[in-house]
Amino acid sequence: MADGTTTAELDAPGDLVSVADRLDGWLEELDEPETLVEGRREAWERYRELPMPQTASEEWRYTDVEDLRPEDFGFVEPEAARSVEIEDLPATVQEVLAGEQDRSGVAVQVDAGEVYRRLDPELEEQGVVFAPIVEVARERPELLEDRLFSSEVTDAEEKFWTLHRAIFSGGYLLYVPENVRVPEPVHAFRYLEREDAIVGSHTLVVAERGAEVTCVEEFLSPDLEETSLSVGGVEVFAGENATVRYISLQRYGRGVEHYSVQHATTGKDSHLSGFNVALGSDRHRADVTSHVEGPGSESEMLALWFGDGDQHIDHHTLQYHKAPHAYSDLLYKGALTDRGRSVFRGVIRVAQEAQLTDAYQTNRNLLLSEDSHANALPNLEIEADDVRCSHGATVGQVDESQLFYLKSRGLTPLQAERLLVFGFFEEVLGRVPVEGVRSRVRSAIERKLGF
Amino acid sequence: MADKLLEVRDLHVTVEDEDIEILKGVDLEVDHGEIHALMGPNGSGKSTLAKLISGHPSFIASRGEVLYEGDDVLEMEPDERARAGVFMAFQYPSEIPGVSISNFLRTAINAGRDEEDEISVFDFRKRLKDALELLDMDESFADRYVNDGFSGGEKKRNEILQMAVLQPTLALLDETDSGLDIDALKVVADGVNRIGDQNQDLGVLLITHYQRILNYIEPDRVHVMIDGKIVESGGPELAEQLEEQGYDWLREEKEPVSA
Repeated sequence: MADGTTTAELDAPGDLVSVADRLDGWLEELDEPETLVEGRREAWERYRELPMPQTASEEWRYTDVEDLRPEDFGFVEPEAARSVEIEDLPATVQEVLAGEQDRSGVAVQVDAGEVYRRLDPELEEQGVVFAPIVEVARERPELLEDRLFSSEVTDAEEKFWTLHRAIFSGGYLLYVPENVRVPEPVHAFRYLEREDAIVGSHTLVVAERGAEVTCVEEFLSPDLEETSLSVGGVEVFAGENATVRYISLQRYGRGVEHYSVQHATTGKDSHLSGFNVALGSDRHRADVTSHVEGPGSESEMLALWFGDGDQHIDHHTLQYHKAPHAYSDLLYKGALTDRGRSVFRGVIRVAQEAQLTDAYQTNRNLLLSEDSHANALPNLEIEADDVRCSHGATVGQVDESQLFYLKSRGLTPLQAERLLVFGFFEEVLGRVPVEGVRSRVRSAIERKLGF
Repeated sequence: MADKLLEVRDLHVTVEDEDIEILKGVDLEVDHGEIHALMGPNGSGKSTLAKLISGHPSFIASRGEVLYEGDDVLEMEPDERARAGVFMAFQYPSEIPGVSISNFLRTAINAGRDEEDEISVFDFRKRLKDALELLDMDESFADRYVNDGFSGGEKKRNEILQMAVLQPTLALLDETDSGLDIDALKVVADGVNRIGDQNQDLGVLLITHYQRILNYIEPDRVHVMIDGKIVESGGPELAEQLEEQGYDWLREEKEPVSA
């Protein structure tokens, strides 16, 4: 596995060939276990059959990708893992690494290739696996069975999901055996620097019975002049009585479009917590599903976004209750300024057998400028009769009486607005268990507010 | 001669977007170190005067002037007035979820300061701790979100806590006594008195319906406002007379029945 010395330069970009022109040939040459290659081939075929999502559909009504041709973007071929020293990592990654010491594992991927990875050796001894999916498929395929790409995706998700399955590169499995507790977060960086390119990393988190782990995935890039696409996929499995926290922190520069399909599944009495932060990129679309399959399990779904300039941020969520006595709580909060746009569409679906479900869904939007706009569409689809469910969405501006109250204490209008924005986000941010994540989100918000 | 702390001259005030005059020519002077009580029945315009002085956007001065230490307050933004030393204890303060009292107060102290002049964490902690002790409050109170889920009494206390930390020169207390039981009233009144002891320059305009709070905060002057005008001024004995006789005698005196 990757540890040790420098074997390659970080940047050696040549001209890229598009996915459409390259993928078939690449699949012929690919040195991967047959199951993976076969999966890619099937997905690629399916992708080509499917049309791009249409704005006529409910799920894509406010995010127009009809003219997007992902397959025309340059295909970045995954290379064999190469290792570099920390000093050779992108500066923004180093900055984050320097700011926080306590991590149980770190991995850094640049474009399609992994360049750095470490896992606390003690955890390795306890059977924790933190390795690229291709490597796991060769050495321990049983860990991927029935899990990798097993998620039931919706029709609305399928186009990007099949593309992701066909081209995914890098990405890792984080596997935590029974009753093992990973004490500190495992932190994966996805750094994108190629322009006019498409990359897609897959994240698979498996926590066996009684295990506990926190996983942070952070997306970074410089501002790009030619648009690049990031097409990600995430699958999380919390076994019986396990605790899994997954945090996605999207801080891409401008010139990136990020499409992410995320599916998490709860086992009996497990605790699952998902936190999505969208601060960067030109366009961000995340489809986030929690499959509440374990009786007595809990799923917490949190998100926060702050769009400025011409950013477009779209979240679609599904709290899918399939087992009785379970609980899910969704709180998605977003602020917009300049010409920022956001969409939230959330569904609580309770199957007939999921009696005694408690499911809540709240979306709040704060508009800080005249030209910003938020769409909020909460939905309930309930087939069971003995449930407690509530949903609510609001779109509003800064409250004038709060603003005056703060000004009456000497705060300038800008300071008052800033404090109110922080107060607005604190309800979500206060529930995030990793201090480093909280402080990076706060500084990013400060920068957007002009501090 | 030094400027008066507060001078109000022939002040007429209307509500924004409406043609209703609430204050119809108010004259009032408050000097440094003085406590003035402004009394009167509901709807007489007492709170309007306090809100106008603090810069509330719903009220407009159509005539007259308000000077604070010689400066024209009406030309200043609400936050400028606050930084100059004007403090308003609100009757119904806003709730600010997600913002802790200590974060809020540190931001407020530093609001007008350059970065190099910002209060040190140590000095701020000390100032906050002293203020909490002054009002008989637990230290954990400052970690709570501003007024979020507070009882009526906690909100009033929080207003006076802010006054103790921000150390204003002019305090407008808008019905700070309403909704307080007698024990809470004593604590709040005691707090105001001790803030005054620490700052001999502090002037207070205390707005109230009831004489009750004046048993604990002794005013130098008492004014009665009826229908947008100050109709009577006097010493503390005026408050006692109002307690006994109500406001009717003043109404009759000032509003002769027309033929």
